[in-house]
Amino acid sequence: MTTTTSPYFDFRDALHPNRLVGLWRMMTDFRVSYIAATASLAISALAKTSVYLLLRFFADDVLGKGAMLGTSMTQTFLWIGLGFILLALVEGGGAFLSGRFAAYTAEGITRRLRDFLFDHIQRLSFSYHSATPTGDLIERVTSDVDALRRFFSEQAIGVGRIILLFVINWVAILYINVKLGLLSVVVIPPILWVSLWFFKKVTKAYEEYQAQEALLSTTLQENLTGVRVVKAFARQDYEKTKFEKDNWGKYLKGKLLLLMHSLFWPLSDIVLGAQMLFGFVYAAFMAINGEITVGDYVAYVGLVVWLIFPIRNLGRTIVQTSTGMVSYARLMDITKQAREPLTDGSIQPTGPARGEIEFKNVGFIYSDGTHDVIKDISFHVKPGQSIALLGSTGSGKTSMVNLLPRFHDYTSGQILLDGVELKDYPRKYLREQIGIVQQEPFLFSRSIRENILYGVGRSVTTEEIEAAAKAAAVHDVILTFPDGYNTIVGEKGVTLSGGQKQRVTIARTILKNPRILILDDSTSSVDTETEASIRDALNSLMENRTTFIIAHRIQSVMKADLILVLDKGQVIQKGDHEELLKQFGGMYRKIYDIQTRIDEELEQEIARVN
Amino acid sequence: MTDEILELEEEEYTSNLTAPVFWRIFGLLKPHWKWVLGFLVTIALVSSMDAYFTYLNKQIVDQGIKLNDFDRVIEIAWMYGSFLLFQAAFIFIFIYLAGVLGERVQYDLRKMLFNHLQDLSLSYYAQNAVGRLIARVTSDTGRVSDLVTWGIVDSVWAIMNITTSLIFMAIINWRLAIIVSVIIPLMMFVATKFQKYILVEFRQSRRANSKITGAYNENIQGVRVVKALGREDENLVEFQQLTTRMYRASYRAAWLSALFLPTVQIIAAIALGAIVWYGGVQIQIGLITIGGIQAFVSYLTFMMWPVQDLARVYAEMQHSIASAERIFKLVDTPPDVHNRSDAIEAKTLLGEIEFDHVDFFYEDRKSVLKDFTLKVKPGETIALVGPTGGGKSTIVNLLCRFYEPNNGVIRINGHDYMDYTLESIHNKIGIVLQTPHLFSGTVRENIRYGNLSANDAEVEEAAKIAGAHDFIVTLEKSYEQNVGESGNLLSVGQKQLISLARAVLAKPELFIMDEATSSVDTLTEALIQRGMEALMKGRTSFVIAHRLSTIRRADRIIVIENGTIAEHGTHAELLRQRGHYYRLYTQQFRHELEVAYGVTEEIEGNERANVTADSIMVRRETAGEEAVAAD
Repeated sequence: MTTTTSPYFDFRDALHPNRLVGLWRMMTDFRVSYIAATASLAISALAKTSVYLLLRFFADDVLGKGAMLGTSMTQTFLWIGLGFILLALVEGGGAFLSGRFAAYTAEGITRRLRDFLFDHIQRLSFSYHSATPTGDLIERVTSDVDALRRFFSEQAIGVGRIILLFVINWVAILYINVKLGLLSVVVIPPILWVSLWFFKKVTKAYEEYQAQEALLSTTLQENLTGVRVVKAFARQDYEKTKFEKDNWGKYLKGKLLLLMHSLFWPLSDIVLGAQMLFGFVYAAFMAINGEITVGDYVAYVGLVVWLIFPIRNLGRTIVQTSTGMVSYARLMDITKQAREPLTDGSIQPTGPARGEIEFKNVGFIYSDGTHDVIKDISFHVKPGQSIALLGSTGSGKTSMVNLLPRFHDYTSGQILLDGVELKDYPRKYLREQIGIVQQEPFLFSRSIRENILYGVGRSVTTEEIEAAAKAAAVHDVILTFPDGYNTIVGEKGVTLSGGQKQRVTIARTILKNPRILILDDSTSSVDTETEASIRDALNSLMENRTTFIIAHRIQSVMKADLILVLDKGQVIQKGDHEELLKQFGGMYRKIYDIQTRIDEELEQEIARVN
Repeated sequence: MTDEILELEEEEYTSNLTAPVFWRIFGLLKPHWKWVLGFLVTIALVSSMDAYFTYLNKQIVDQGIKLNDFDRVIEIAWMYGSFLLFQAAFIFIFIYLAGVLGERVQYDLRKMLFNHLQDLSLSYYAQNAVGRLIARVTSDTGRVSDLVTWGIVDSVWAIMNITTSLIFMAIINWRLAIIVSVIIPLMMFVATKFQKYILVEFRQSRRANSKITGAYNENIQGVRVVKALGREDENLVEFQQLTTRMYRASYRAAWLSALFLPTVQIIAAIALGAIVWYGGVQIQIGLITIGGIQAFVSYLTFMMWPVQDLARVYAEMQHSIASAERIFKLVDTPPDVHNRSDAIEAKTLLGEIEFDHVDFFYEDRKSVLKDFTLKVKPGETIALVGPTGGGKSTIVNLLCRFYEPNNGVIRINGHDYMDYTLESIHNKIGIVLQTPHLFSGTVRENIRYGNLSANDAEVEEAAKIAGAHDFIVTLEKSYEQNVGESGNLLSVGQKQLISLARAVLAKPELFIMDEATSSVDTLTEALIQRGMEALMKGRTSFVIAHRLSTIRRADRIIVIENGTIAEHGTHAELLRQRGHYYRLYTQQFRHELEVAYGVTEEIEGNERANVTADSIMVRRETAGEEAVAAD
């Protein structure tokens, strides 16, 4: 399978209709560290609570009853002082460990989630990619992954933190005095409810604020990229007004958001403050009446702060967890898509293919089943022969060649490669045997050298690379770039023309050295002079390889051993150039005539002006 | 490079505060000084009250409980309660004032920047990537407004809190207060160091993150190539290096953050230990009470918050100052092309247009146009043809006065066009760009851009003349159809028709068109041709031409090569010369007929898919660069 540099986890194992179960499954291998994070948090909270209990001991036992640790009072104070430092160390250590474990969990899960999604997406079928917009996928693998990261690093642990703080401090207060403990939490349920309600509202208002910001960015971007239009129509003032409207709109939305915050925090302060003050007074009375000690009171005052105030934030954290749930579902939509099995096949050939191909009544219908893309195609090619496909848009040429590397699987008939059914070969093997020069060359934003080496899959010397570039007639062009072969495509204004890109991809194909070659209209996007040099490069590439040529010009197909003329997914003519020319009334002859006529018309036009 | 990377690079810059910048930054607050005063006073009060509450708690113990004085407890509780109410009111005021002022300052800055950007010349856009300009208006303004509002709030709160706490501690016991005041600088120092390290790691992780997004983007767009070349395994290995880098940086940032507060707290705890030990001794001699010790515990426990706030503000300040400097630099840039002080209104552009020995070079000083001379009669149609990079777009840019000649003169009606106001020239120009640019909004709004006072009937009339009406009415919502961001919901051909209609509505005297090289379907093509014809009637027109029909219809054809006129004349004259024009023409002729006969396939669909995909990355590149590169 895959060689990996970091732990790889198959997130298909984490699929579950219940999102909480799914999220729990995503934590596989990290559960121990998540539990360790929670445990450290508990230790830290216990240490904090103990600070106040130590203070209580100090007030009641040491100062009140004169209890001693060691031999003298001074020594006792020293021990207690050290006790405070020790507790701070435990508390700080716990907090640190908890943070570190939580980060380990969240970042670890996120890393392998990113790796998995990247790998999964590149292994999804052609059909999936054709149907899914890039922007949507990117949005999911960035924003939704980040939302899940925050779920694991902040929210999952955050809820635990607040609950732990509450429970530990409450137990401590109950231990001091049960009545006091019960009276101190009266306000908790309503404040929790209000904070949930408030953060739902505020999240919505914030989304609107963000939407307005996005609107403003769009206006700004369109203005800046369209600066020539703005200037040419002298619409500066109009643009200023438009921007002003969005800008002011954002100001107003921000103002509303701040009004919400500026009301919530002080109002909840009053409620919590009242609860706290009530507790103070009540506890003070109890202390004066002797129901509790001074030490109890001092400890209570310290503890109750940690009991009450964090509850406000619980609402926020709970509201945020819903974002994580939604993101889980959105990512699992991608995860549950089926991959292309690359290595599956009933035979595992070792050597290179010979390149004999036979189509027997081959048909292909897309899975939605609406119409035949190609149907009933039969022909036979010997190793090293070239076969040309001619036809208009939608005639099925590209769909037909896409069957060879099994980008799509044919739905009826048989394709035989070297006498063996294509579906028996692993896709990976087929793709190694087949080289494709596409109509629209695609280069990656890395150096030209790396682009030529892309997908070659073996170590290659500099000489070999340059030889390939020379054969593709692009070596000299590359040397004119500032960094030669190390020039990064698309950086520092280095833009390659369509023809140059095409020749880089041809160099790539030469290095790959496939047995079967598919040239998909490789010269259509370049000018005449470039076309000639590309054609030379292609001719040398075609030697000794079974080659499929998709083209629209008679000139490019006439030398082929076999020409198929396609229309609406069917072969309407078959033969070599000489044979097809003799079929008067046939499509091939028609196209040939048109192209001859074009030359004549040109001559006439020029003659006219003379 | 993407926006994000540009922005991240800029964020690395830090600046130290200099007096002029300082005054300029705080000058932004001048119009709103009442608000500033308001939140300064309230935050100071809120902060001192926090310290006072701790003191009151001590009083309850020492004066209430210790002395068994119920009345004193009630008295203090009343005081406590009323202060709570006051504090809540002050909290309301400072959050509202500082927050809204932050939004306001951001609003002011954005408005200032945007308005100035409208005045800047195309040369400025050519030198500054759009991504950078966007960062100026969005993130830089955010950072500066944060500095002058929340930055101040946090600092004032922190300083007031530390000061008042120290004062109360000194009132309780000055000897112990000295111990605390000794450790505060130490806490500050440690906190600041931490914040800097965390910031560095945080930026690292954001940088890695944007690389990860880039890798996703490329692999999805190029997925067909990836599959064809069977490079899945290697891609995953490469990608894992990126995610590992990201993992290291964010993990480090996270655990450094987790270490930060505990460290500060432990420093405080050491002071606390010292106080309990030393204070215990003092209790025995009656210098401090149990309530006093309790107050010290409280003060020290909560001391980490102001320390953390100050450290954060300090760490971010230098970046915010760098942001402010970038904003000021943009605002201080004067436009290259501007009205002369004695500029007059151009009455009409329908007169003779003359390029008189014009030289032009862009910033890199490589000459683009050399000694270019051309006279155009009113109403003439000029086709500019020639290879990419020859100087065609530059001629158009000069004609529109997006740039001005470095040498030589351009005259309209015998007047140097620099004597005219820019507005009066631009008002009379209609322009259609090679890559049509539309704005978000409806079809109608986009056409009306040509003449803001046109009524609906006039808009539709213009659309009819431009040949856009027929396709518009087939849209679901007709003229009210939303065109999407930058018109992305429409095809290239449709965008072109709408930009033609927009130019028609402007009723220009000078029409400039940069014909699209990308192909559109035959029907749309015919419509565009007809629209252009309608537009050229009775106007002087300059067309950077790619289509034969356009070229043939021109009164004169100018072949531009290497910044000079290589050939010029009518279609027939030039064909006879069998030179550059002849070659260009025959190539295009063959191509167009092949398309017409349906032999060649137009690859619009493919191309468009590619354009959208590329635009995710390329959109961020400069508009200016395009302007230069398009030449």
